[in-house]
Amino acid sequence: MRVPLSWLKEYVEITQSPQELAHTLTMAGLEVETLDYIGTDWGDRIITAQITHLEKVPGSDHLSYTRVNTGSGEIGVICGAPNIKEGDKVPLALPGARIGDLTIGVARKMGYVSEGMLCSPRELGLGSDHSGIYILDPETPLGVKLADLLSDVVLEFAIKAHRGDLSSIIGIAREVAALTHKPLRLPEPRFNEQGQPAAELVKVTVEDTALCPRYSARVISGVKIGPSPGWMARRLLMAGMRPINLIVDITNYVMLEVGQPLHAFDYDLVREHHIIVRRARDGEEITTLDGVQRRLRNDMLLITDPQGPTAIAGVMGSAISEVNEGTTRILLESANFRPASVRRTAVALGLRTESSSRFEKGLDPELTIFGANRAAQLMAELAGGQVHPGIVDVYPQPVEARSILFSPAEVEWLTGLKVTSRQVHEALSALEFKVEEVSAAADAFGGEQLLRVTVPTFRGDIEEGADLVEEVLRMIGYDQLPATVPEGPLPEPQSDHWFEREYEIREILIGLGLHEILTYAMTSRQRMLNLLAEVNAQTAQVLLQKPADDGQAGWVIAGAQARGGSENGFASDSREPFDARSLPAVTIANPLSNELECMRLTLLSGLMETLQENSKRNRAGLRLFEIGRRYLPRGAGELPEERRCAGIALCGPAAISWVPELARPADFYDLKGIVETLLERLHIQRYRFSAAQHPTFHPGRCALLEVGVGRPDADDGERFTPVGFLGEVHPLVQQRYDLPHRAYLCELDLEILYAAVPERLNYAPISRHQELTRDLAVVVDQQVPARAVQEAIERHGGELLRTVALFDVYTGAPIPPGKKSLTYTLLYQAQDRTLTDAEANALQERIVAALAEEFGAVLRS
Amino acid sequence: MIEQLDALLAQLDALQERALRELETINSSAELEDWDVRYLGRHRGELKNFSTLIPKLGKAERPVIGQKINAVKEKLESALEARRQELRDRELREALERERLDVTLPGRALPAGHMHPISRTILEVARIFTRMGFQVVQGPEIETDYYNFQALNIPVDHPARDMQDTFWVVPGEILLRTQTSPMQIRVMQTTRPPVRVIVPGKVFRHEAIDASHEAMFHQIEGLLVDERCTMADLKGSLARFAREMFGEDRRVRFRGSYFPFTEPSAEVDIDCILCKGSGCRLCKYSGWLEILGSGMVHPRVLREVGYDPHKYRGYAFGMGVERIAMLKYAIGEIRLFSGNDLRFLRQF
Ligand SMILES: [Zn+2]
Repeated sequence: MRVPLSWLKEYVEITQSPQELAHTLTMAGLEVETLDYIGTDWGDRIITAQITHLEKVPGSDHLSYTRVNTGSGEIGVICGAPNIKEGDKVPLALPGARIGDLTIGVARKMGYVSEGMLCSPRELGLGSDHSGIYILDPETPLGVKLADLLSDVVLEFAIKAHRGDLSSIIGIAREVAALTHKPLRLPEPRFNEQGQPAAELVKVTVEDTALCPRYSARVISGVKIGPSPGWMARRLLMAGMRPINLIVDITNYVMLEVGQPLHAFDYDLVREHHIIVRRARDGEEITTLDGVQRRLRNDMLLITDPQGPTAIAGVMGSAISEVNEGTTRILLESANFRPASVRRTAVALGLRTESSSRFEKGLDPELTIFGANRAAQLMAELAGGQVHPGIVDVYPQPVEARSILFSPAEVEWLTGLKVTSRQVHEALSALEFKVEEVSAAADAFGGEQLLRVTVPTFRGDIEEGADLVEEVLRMIGYDQLPATVPEGPLPEPQSDHWFEREYEIREILIGLGLHEILTYAMTSRQRMLNLLAEVNAQTAQVLLQKPADDGQAGWVIAGAQARGGSENGFASDSREPFDARSLPAVTIANPLSNELECMRLTLLSGLMETLQENSKRNRAGLRLFEIGRRYLPRGAGELPEERRCAGIALCGPAAISWVPELARPADFYDLKGIVETLLERLHIQRYRFSAAQHPTFHPGRCALLEVGVGRPDADDGERFTPVGFLGEVHPLVQQRYDLPHRAYLCELDLEILYAAVPERLNYAPISRHQELTRDLAVVVDQQVPARAVQEAIERHGGELLRTVALFDVYTGAPIPPGKKSLTYTLLYQAQDRTLTDAEANALQERIVAALAEEFGAVLRS
Repeated sequence: MIEQLDALLAQLDALQERALRELETINSSAELEDWDVRYLGRHRGELKNFSTLIPKLGKAERPVIGQKINAVKEKLESALEARRQELRDRELREALERERLDVTLPGRALPAGHMHPISRTILEVARIFTRMGFQVVQGPEIETDYYNFQALNIPVDHPARDMQDTFWVVPGEILLRTQTSPMQIRVMQTTRPPVRVIVPGKVFRHEAIDASHEAMFHQIEGLLVDERCTMADLKGSLARFAREMFGEDRRVRFRGSYFPFTEPSAEVDIDCILCKGSGCRLCKYSGWLEILGSGMVHPRVLREVGYDPHKYRGYAFGMGVERIAMLKYAIGEIRLFSGNDLRFLRQF
């Protein structure tokens, strides 16, 4: 909402500077977004001039050459605008003038010399109109600095959704008056009524009074259509509207001034002179004034005549009964429409207008008469119109002013600000609330004085005490609020620890040299399918799999049941080419782009893409992690499941470094080491890694991590539940991301991970008895997993075997091909006595024998 | 005999002088041991040779010579020991010199990771409010229309929905939450006052992405409900937050605003952290920076969750984490946060 200060001053005296006024209004909740100083940059080189001669420039389809009278002489100017004619008075920028970033000079073009420029409203900063040159009032003196005539200050407001009454100059003036203790001067429309009464000239039928609570119509005849007077055109321009013709401009002017949207029909084009307000029929069509044919729905309200629609109520009219050059009689509509209906219609049609944006915030039905009369007055005064007696007014249920019993004590109760009953009285009265004192006993807020407050009908937003508290606060000033500390009791601690947990993971991973990234939760199915070496219905399932909810071992496919209970619930034949669209994901109905069409099922695609982005400009390796959610679809109408996850990505060396082990590109064991350290830091003791297959990963370099949940000694025993996969990215996947080194990825389900974190730590006393160390080197087949050997050692070593640590893995001569040597150091110790060498040796022999039996292991000599 | 005695004494003096001279030229412990054997050796050392002469001397001369031999021996032994220490010191010095490192070479530390500035900012804000007794909770990022709008006094077809263009999953029913405020409802529905929570999290707006707009960003919601809280408490809490977050001398300004789920509502500004209020480009020459929106929980919202608005009062506020971080770290572009450029992330 653009409010020219000069216009505002017509209704209220303003003694503050524009900045002070803007501050006063902003503090009271009417935020002035910008102060637009019109004309301060015009200088003295933009003056008024008159076109004395106009000719087409030969060889150009749009340029014309003009001679203009500058008041002190005549100069030639080339102009490309279509709207000028001889005799027009126009703004002229002389050489040396600045228009935006452009300095006007003398130019030679197509054989003419142009010694200046004629300006459009937009070039002068007067609104956005750039369709032609700004034509000045015929009475304008020549050769005068434009700044002396037209400079102004425009306050630009963002009108909040609940205050339809502020979408007008008078609405703003009312606030200014209340806040600065000045009287409000409202225009009083006065005009003569004559001729046949309106009621005999027009019939109005409102079929849906719920959507149209009031419809008021006037008839004005004998109007002359022409351009608006300069003062009106200028105000419209500064308020951001484009002058069209006098009648349309009057309706717009009154809408800006009063806040009541109006529509002028050509009376003679309204068939049978009968206005019918009704809902559209489904599929009914109308061509609106912007030339677009629109299909309507039954929940949209129309203005029609007996033969068809003439306007979409409160949104836009149609060409059928539009005011035109030949119009002489006006049927003026001043109506009130239900906000939700206008809004729904405007949103559905993608057609937001000055009118619809006012109706959807809610307008006062009492305003229609004032608006109609103000427009009738202007049509009589400016267009020579004759106003027919009376208003046809369909208003079956007049609004009743709301009355609220209000305790001034509620102000302090809610805000902590001490106010007197008198202050409350004054504040509300200034805003045109009617306030009466009512005697009462002590009320809920500890007050003894009650007020009966009658809310003006234009304040539909005021419904109860809290609303009145805000009004009082606005008038007294938010800056009067004291600042205190809440002294109420603290709540019971609650059990959601996820905030702390996620930061615990963050701190651990950062400590391991990983950088945290934060990617979009929106992605596309195709971007996620890029993670699969081979894409088919079978492999795509991994994107949907999640640990079983009940803590049972294994994975389940998210949403499979809702999709029909089959094994995976989507697609069937893995030999068919896979259609990305068949991948179930939470789809966004109105995405910003195809790249952001659904919610992610995995963090890994964002990690891979971030590796790719950064590898272009980063010679050192990359070590990244993200903590966020996977969004797994559930049944239709259900909110999706949001699973908390951590994803890790490594690619290349830890650093550019002279230290060889830091300069070495990351490998599988770097990633696994990170995961193991994470487990250690979380004190998770029961976990296992095993070789696994996953379509994102190298088939020989992928592990599944499972953690033990439940207790080994519980009835249902300990179960291992999957947490996630880690591995080297499959070369076919790697190719798609164009990375300079092999990439390693891991995605962990934090909810399962934390289920395995022990509730408390168990301390075991340190044994004071001597410990015995034995080394053990065995040769086994290459295929034997190290974990199996270690577990066997632990099992057979029993309680007295305190720790086992692998310290060498060796292949090559003299170890036979196909074999590997594993060397462990074992530490034996008893809690209650000193072990003898013989005991340790016996255990060691038992272990060797067991390894020989289970794995064919032989001692390495 | 006297002559013989004098000659012997002179020989011993000469021996001592020769040995000491020689000792001074010795540079290694091997030579030193050799010298030791040569002069002080128990079997064939030169001094020993003199001792063997003693029995051949007269009774009167014996003690004189014996004493002289001992004196020379002591002298040589102490000289040897001093020389030995000198050599040891020198050898250690040389060994240390050989082991000298270039201590200006980079260390072998593992490169440090960094927390994303959004996570860091959320943590800072959370710490400030947890010190004031707030608890941190989180909620679903995909929400229903009811929690995101209707329960917050934003009915269907309400123009306030324009303030928050929405990504829909099921139009009219399920959406990507446009604010963290739905957790106000979820928390109040499941607990009774007193309530003190803050809710950090992702939010989504259907907006074209540019230097100051993101389609996904972060908010922190705050909610306090009890039987005595007032808007003055809101002001005091936020003033404390502003001081802890942006500096001890920060001032806070409340001004009128509108949010459907608070009444009265207030926009909260701090005096500009750059120009301290005198006006600059950051604050658009107003001297103030808008940091968050707030207000007293709307009675309709309280009634919606079954709280009696004549008994319970509450305040709520919501801030954009990106905005706070941009102000705190003087970051000019919101897109940097989701850009994940390591050159940016490594600075936090
Ligand atoms: Zn500033």
